[in-house]
Amino acid sequence: MKQLKGSADLASIVVRELTKRYGNLTAVNQISLVVETGEIFGMLGPNGAGKTTTVEILVGLRTADAGEVKVLGFDPVTEDKKLKRSIGVQLQMPALFPRLTVEEALQLNATFYPDPFPVDQVLEWMGLTDRRKMFTHKLSGGQLQRLIVGMAIIGNGKVLFLDEPTTGLDPQARHNLWDVFQLLQKMGKTIFLTTHYMEEAQYLCDRVAIIDHGSIIALGTPDQLIGDQFEEKAIELSEMGSENETILRELPGVTRVQTAHNQITLYSTHVEATIRELIQLEAEQRLAISGLAIRKASLEDVFLKLTGRSIRQ
Amino acid sequence: MKIFFNLVMATLKDMIRDKMTVFWFILFPVLFMFLFGMIFSGPQNVNFDLGVVVEEPDFFAQSFLANLEQVEMLTLFQGSLEDELDALGQRKRNAVLVLPDIQFGPDLFNEDQSNESVAIPVYYDASSQANKVLIFMLSEIFNHVERGMQNRARIFTLDAKPVQAESLRDVDYLLPGILAMALMQLGLFGSLRLVYLRERRILRSLGATPLPRTHIVLSEIIIRLLMAAIQTLLIILIGHFVFDVQIMGSWWQVLGAVFFGAAVFVSIGYMLVTFAKTEESGNGIIQVVQFPMMFLSGIFFPLEFLPAFLKPVVRAIPLTYLGDLLRSIIIGVPYAFGLTTDLLILSGWLIVSLIMTIRFWRWD
Repeated sequence: MKQLKGSADLASIVVRELTKRYGNLTAVNQISLVVETGEIFGMLGPNGAGKTTTVEILVGLRTADAGEVKVLGFDPVTEDKKLKRSIGVQLQMPALFPRLTVEEALQLNATFYPDPFPVDQVLEWMGLTDRRKMFTHKLSGGQLQRLIVGMAIIGNGKVLFLDEPTTGLDPQARHNLWDVFQLLQKMGKTIFLTTHYMEEAQYLCDRVAIIDHGSIIALGTPDQLIGDQFEEKAIELSEMGSENETILRELPGVTRVQTAHNQITLYSTHVEATIRELIQLEAEQRLAISGLAIRKASLEDVFLKLTGRSIRQ
Repeated sequence: MKIFFNLVMATLKDMIRDKMTVFWFILFPVLFMFLFGMIFSGPQNVNFDLGVVVEEPDFFAQSFLANLEQVEMLTLFQGSLEDELDALGQRKRNAVLVLPDIQFGPDLFNEDQSNESVAIPVYYDASSQANKVLIFMLSEIFNHVERGMQNRARIFTLDAKPVQAESLRDVDYLLPGILAMALMQLGLFGSLRLVYLRERRILRSLGATPLPRTHIVLSEIIIRLLMAAIQTLLIILIGHFVFDVQIMGSWWQVLGAVFFGAAVFVSIGYMLVTFAKTEESGNGIIQVVQFPMMFLSGIFFPLEFLPAFLKPVVRAIPLTYLGDLLRSIIIGVPYAFGLTTDLLILSGWLIVSLIMTIRFWRWD
């Protein structure tokens, strides 16, 4: 709590023991977090974990049942007018009049804010320049997604709240958006985003909170989170049945074995020794290896270890 | 203010690009006006054979006859009471009017009206509903003559024109009716847009921007008033220049009544869809309300045609009073309920529906 208080001066977002219930369901359970100004902060978790509820409380669309929230020093409920002028919000539901063009939709949102970005600038960032005259109800899913992210950005707010901004985008478009977010970060913006893409959190976010069933189960930089949980590297064996688990567990250096989707992942502190023994096993025809990959442990592994489930389940 | 203006412009673009909106709110009333105008303004099929029995051919009787002759729908026959009643019995007359020998004493012009009124017998064939229109028409003509008589300076100087306007040409009657219908539909169905915005969570998302929610509703209302003005203009211009309807009221009176009527029905529209979760269910609720209202309000035919047991319903619905208001202002027929009653009841509906809407409206 002391650290939380100390950093609050630089913080754009301060959340203390925030709780939200819907009937018997506790959607958000006593979460606390601080987002520093200029940081890209990711909230990572499966669908229904409480990410959207958290965002909606932070931007003043829902009221909390308990706890304290401050964004840019404003209370989102009582000071919502001041707050909304200095943030940008992208929700999963697009706020679009169907028969406006891309350009008109952006232009309209721009007029709500005191110091917006030029429409042309945002069109370029979002890769929508050649779609500017198109009616929004005729856009493809990916184009629509980019438009609503653009509508959140155009207000030039100090803090951006993006609820799953890259959902439905192809990898190319996703990487383009990451570049834009990093550019905005260089301009001094704070970005609070939710995602269920591990690689997005790992690549883009300075810090990540992993949320599951409404509670934060881990919080830190991606490297910290992985380092805390794993000294090991991961060895992925594809097309490997779970009947081999016992043998694999005995290999040198192996600390843990995860089986999922006909694939076995070994976590090893001595990768070389483990591999040598694996090849030996295959040579003795006690094991058939059809695919093998070695990688550093990722947030996916962290999530798997903490919850016992894959995030996409 | 700039935000609001931009929102109005964006909403306007969004709405006008919806072909259904343009059809229902602009084209439909215009088509209606043309269609029914053509049906009802052609050579009048309606013709009444009226027998007139003149007991004393004095100046009063002469001037009254002169008035009757101005009415195109009437064919006049003069004869003795006996002959004319005979003709009525053989269905050669729709009605027989007896102009009695009125004693022109000083009493008749007495302003205190304590003297008994003069009974003017009218015999008519009650088996035909259409004859009720004739009786209504005749009583209007008598009212007119009587008004003329009470105004000493203008005794017997009746000019034919107002009588023509009061003779209820169907197309005259129709014009304010179509306008009232158009305003009602604009107000009621127009509210569905906000339900759509709510259903699609567009209202919710806009709630995360600095745009005040009241701006959204206000811009909707302003655009509806604008559309009401366009409708009025189109319908009145078509009525006047194509079907020769004489407009009695001034522009500001007409626009005032139109905006007031639009406001009442916009407000009722929002009240009706307050609890509708989807656009479809909202549409259903409005259909159930607007369809009977159209026929029970007397906007397309005189209230005298409706059976007596429906009168309480007629008396409760707002469209009745908007129809009455517009009819009086636009074509100059006398108020059925009175200007004050019309305004009071419409204001009542406006206030009640506003309060209900504000109390129960949900943004998401």
